[in-house]
Amino acid sequence: MDPDAVAKAFVDHYYSTFDANRAGLGNLYQEGSMLTFEGQKIQGSQSIVAKLTSLPFQQCKHNITTVDCQPSGAGGMLVFVSGTLQLAGEQHALKFSQMFHLMPTPQGSFYVLNDIFRLNYT
Amino acid sequence: MEEQIDLVGKAFTDHYYHLFDNDRPALSSLYRPSSMLTFEGQKILGVEDITAKLTSLPFDQCQHVISTTDSQPSTFAGGIVVFVSGSLQLPGEEHHLRFSQMFHLVPIVEGNFFVQNDIFRLNYG
Repeated sequence: MDPDAVAKAFVDHYYSTFDANRAGLGNLYQEGSMLTFEGQKIQGSQSIVAKLTSLPFQQCKHNITTVDCQPSGAGGMLVFVSGTLQLAGEQHALKFSQMFHLMPTPQGSFYVLNDIFRLNYT
Repeated sequence: MEEQIDLVGKAFTDHYYHLFDNDRPALSSLYRPSSMLTFEGQKILGVEDITAKLTSLPFDQCQHVISTTDSQPSTFAGGIVVFVSGSLQLPGEEHHLRFSQMFHLVPIVEGNFFVQNDIFRLNYG
């Protein structure tokens, strides 16, 4: 399958899960996964999901502007995303950038090994 | 281990942007034939073509000012992913360009790193 299509499919799945049911992100991470969220470092699926589900908003909507991907070697894929994050009740959307390093699972899908998220302040 | 990764990531990006801003052709020392750059959506493969792209960007001088650097181990035999945000000042331009960039660094025997993956995007306001 075309790597760009794989990356796009992953990104669509990730953000639609995030926006609809944040707890459902748990099966995209594993024990060795790492998230750096606005400079805060979190390790492992449980802690990562705890962080994401405790973010101080109930509803949000990610709008993706750009998706770039490259193979990282040994079947891994790097995905670099930019877009906006609209929080319910907020007039202005937040701009963000995020990178994922995806690794293949034996079942033929991907999990997130590395995840780094930053808001883009103007 | 975590602190070490941060130090390495920061040292690398300091070196990278110093070369970019002062001696762009010398960036070739940081890439290999297997390296990949995606620059504003354009895909470029290999040290020669990557160096040609970076040295042909339409400005002679520039200054990168880095706001954030985040690093994590990528577990590819000591590899590191580094995520940078900052601004790029071009001479004569009043407004800085904001950008984000990610590097996947792979170690070389001598204890240095080369850039295996590089993705650059401007952040438009």
